[in-house]
Amino acid sequence: MSNFLERPSVQPWARVKKSQQLELILASVLPTVIALFVVNVFGVHGAFGMITVFLPLQILAAGFVGVRRFGKKGFGDSLLLVSTISFAALVAVLLLSVLYSVIIKGFPALSAHFITQNNVYVSTTTSLEYGGVGHAILGTLLVVVLATLAAVPLGLAMAVFLTQSQSRLTGPVRSFTQALAGLPSIVSGLFILSILPFLGMERSGLAGAMALFPLMLPTVARVAEEALRLVPADLRMAALALGAPNYRAFFQVILPAAKSGVVTAVLLGLARIVGETAPLILTLNANVSTNLNPFEGGIAALPTYVYGFISSGYDTSLSRAWGAALVLVILVGILFGLARVFSRSKSLKTKSSSKKKGNK
Amino acid sequence: MNEISKTLAPQTRRKLKVKPTTTGDKVFSGVTSAAASIAFILVTLILIFLFIRAAPALQNQGIDFVFGSEWDPDGSGVMQIFPMIWGSIVIAALGVVFATPMAISTAYLIVFVMGKRASNIATTLVDLLAALPSVVLGLWGLWVFTPVGEGWGQILNQYFSWIPIFQVTDVAAGFRSSPFIAGWIVAIMIVPIITSVTREIFSQLDRDLIGGALALGGSKASIFRQIILPTCSRGITGGVLLGVGRALGETVAIFYVLDLSFEINWSKLLEPEGGAVASLILARFGEASSEEVSGLMAAGLVIFFITLIINFLANGIVARSKAGTR
Amino acid sequence: MSQTTTAATMHTEDVSVWFGQRQVLDKVNLTFPSHQVTALIGPSGCGKSTFIRTLNRMHELIPGAGLAGSVFLDGGDIYGEDVDAVDVRINIGMVFQKPNPFPTMSIKENILSGLRLSGRKINGADEIVETSLRRASMWNEVKDRLNDQALSLSGGQQQRLCIARSLAMNPKVLLMDEPCSALDPGSTRRIEETIKELSSQMTIVIVTHNMQQAQRVSHQTAFFLADDNTPGGVVEFGPTEMVFKNPQDPRTNDYVNGHFG
Repeated sequence: MSNFLERPSVQPWARVKKSQQLELILASVLPTVIALFVVNVFGVHGAFGMITVFLPLQILAAGFVGVRRFGKKGFGDSLLLVSTISFAALVAVLLLSVLYSVIIKGFPALSAHFITQNNVYVSTTTSLEYGGVGHAILGTLLVVVLATLAAVPLGLAMAVFLTQSQSRLTGPVRSFTQALAGLPSIVSGLFILSILPFLGMERSGLAGAMALFPLMLPTVARVAEEALRLVPADLRMAALALGAPNYRAFFQVILPAAKSGVVTAVLLGLARIVGETAPLILTLNANVSTNLNPFEGGIAALPTYVYGFISSGYDTSLSRAWGAALVLVILVGILFGLARVFSRSKSLKTKSSSKKKGNK
Repeated sequence: MNEISKTLAPQTRRKLKVKPTTTGDKVFSGVTSAAASIAFILVTLILIFLFIRAAPALQNQGIDFVFGSEWDPDGSGVMQIFPMIWGSIVIAALGVVFATPMAISTAYLIVFVMGKRASNIATTLVDLLAALPSVVLGLWGLWVFTPVGEGWGQILNQYFSWIPIFQVTDVAAGFRSSPFIAGWIVAIMIVPIITSVTREIFSQLDRDLIGGALALGGSKASIFRQIILPTCSRGITGGVLLGVGRALGETVAIFYVLDLSFEINWSKLLEPEGGAVASLILARFGEASSEEVSGLMAAGLVIFFITLIINFLANGIVARSKAGTR
Repeated sequence: MSQTTTAATMHTEDVSVWFGQRQVLDKVNLTFPSHQVTALIGPSGCGKSTFIRTLNRMHELIPGAGLAGSVFLDGGDIYGEDVDAVDVRINIGMVFQKPNPFPTMSIKENILSGLRLSGRKINGADEIVETSLRRASMWNEVKDRLNDQALSLSGGQQQRLCIARSLAMNPKVLLMDEPCSALDPGSTRRIEETIKELSSQMTIVIVTHNMQQAQRVSHQTAFFLADDNTPGGVVEFGPTEMVFKNPQDPRTNDYVNGHFG
């Protein structure tokens, strides 16, 4: 409906035609390929190679494509495109390198017993056929779940305040929440350490969870706030006009409408803390066996496990570190993938007037 | 019939009850308001408790804790962290120098060049980069990136050692564990935050402004240089500052790729020694005496204080420039 | 559940409205007799939508909202000291400009949502659903798909669902804020028929931009106008026929004859 209201949209960066796309891709890739070839065959290495082979080729290619497309003006445009693509490609290469290394180096360590067994009889040189990260997976789950139990309801409550309150304090509350989001994780660990004596507590799983809580809270609050904001204000008004008190309007109308967004908030919060290392090193005592008592005893977690095995210098230990890192990355990947799936299903952005067939 | 009265007789405004009336609403509003104060309470508590535990060290060391360059808690009892602070600053600066072009380029491509699907995928990948645990980056940094970065350092030193920052005292000592390498690791960690802030700022730009400039015959390159960058520079600065805050707090990854040293490394980026306050805490914590723990708490307080100020500043800039580009 | 409701009389005394320091309405005095449809007309920005929101205390949900004067429902001030806004809204229903059924609920759940949201017990859910949908004259269209999602309905149906949702609460007064402005002519006609039928059961106040609609559905009409930079107010108020055929104020004449607005 109301098509006549739609303005003709301005498309400043018009799409590139298919044939020209090919040219562009060739111009971006060819110099790299040639440069790699030269480097490998003639042994011109590193920055010297970059400067003498790659850069001139790249600029030539860019200029060629640009001038072909737009005449003189195109030269600068193509240079802009090529340089941005090169920088972005560097980001991609670094990310892929991390993922590739973790998968390739971590995979040999993976096995059924690696993710189920603990490390009780493992020394630095014990072969990979024995022991695993089962205890660390359980420990991570325990600590993370405890932190989540506190951070999710409170983060959600913060989001409600930020979206609904008419108070003048919403500005400062948002500022402090953002400031907390930048809290260095090691400081969170130090903070919990500093209050443990006052609480009469020891380093423990609970202390670890407490150290993760301030790190998770702002993420949950921010994402949940975005989710609640996506719920049309009309719906809250409709509920209030029907005589609903605020809390019923929230639980019966707003929260169900924002459900997928809130789930996303929880998942991103989890992804934020599941790999946190520094606070756990400070607040957990290490342990090689399984311990599910959050109040006493050492607890291993995946990140601290990786930390412990990184620099021991023995190949099997290093393999264990890579293996545990792979498990950790898979965990983060799962949380992250789920979050994407849920945030896609934000179907409620659609206005109530849209012709959406919602029959399920 | 009635006329609109041109002179408004003063009327007393009624007090509109915005206070919750039912029990359920009282509880609801109480809980949400209490939760809203948590961020403030946490920040305050962190400052207070770190200060309580840091007080003994701060009292003993005085102002030299921040400006001196010696760390000997078990011998003379002197604890001074200036080399670490300076090292953190150098690494953060390097991280920003490496990360900013990558982030702006990525954001530019996502907002102005890519189609919808491609930009969605790219955004997801950048977010995934942000979600990588720092211990994994440390592992990768030590065993995969260090050899590569070492090579880059060697070349820089070989061809550019006439620039002071690329000189080293002893070439034979190698180019591992340098601020240069730590800067790269930090850059990887802050690319996502700068990208996402820049992306938001870019996407809020008035498209008609760009369309108009194109219609006037401007090339994309000139529009990027003369319109996009100047309009968005404040927001990007805010994003970069957020990145600086994150870089200063980074602990584990730097711990693995850098050799901490209390000899101040002023500017030799390729020298295999440097400093990072957060990494110092991690490095010393294990075998620290109670006096040294107090010193580490003080170091934590310093890093928290700095990042807090930077974050407030950065978020303020980002919020204002978001409102400004609209 | 009985079909008939006790309609109520409403009237306002010197209602003035502010947003922050800006006054948008000045001393509005209107009476809405029971079983009558009152149309509020006037150009955009004259404050008529704001005014209708003061009638069931929705206005106060906007930050910085201010109000003076009184609104009476059957003689009781709805802004009184010990009056709960929630009770006011239960008695005075509201239909909005854009249809806003609850997207996570089925058609049936939407009808019952008012009762659930105001925390009342539901006896004979099926009967309430059927009665309400019949009163909104859409029972026959949806009786076989009561468990479908509300968003599967067309725009016009969604708006009538919202009317039915309000009717399930058995309100004494029904406020409608430009209920047809987002709908096609066919849907508009059906809603106008519904309004006429409902007027025998309750008091109705409707804001509309559409002069013909005001003449078709209302018994009396109030013309709101705001001069530049002054708060809006009622220029003319009387039986609809009078206001349109024989207006007393020249400005009303100009407006209803399409000279401005």
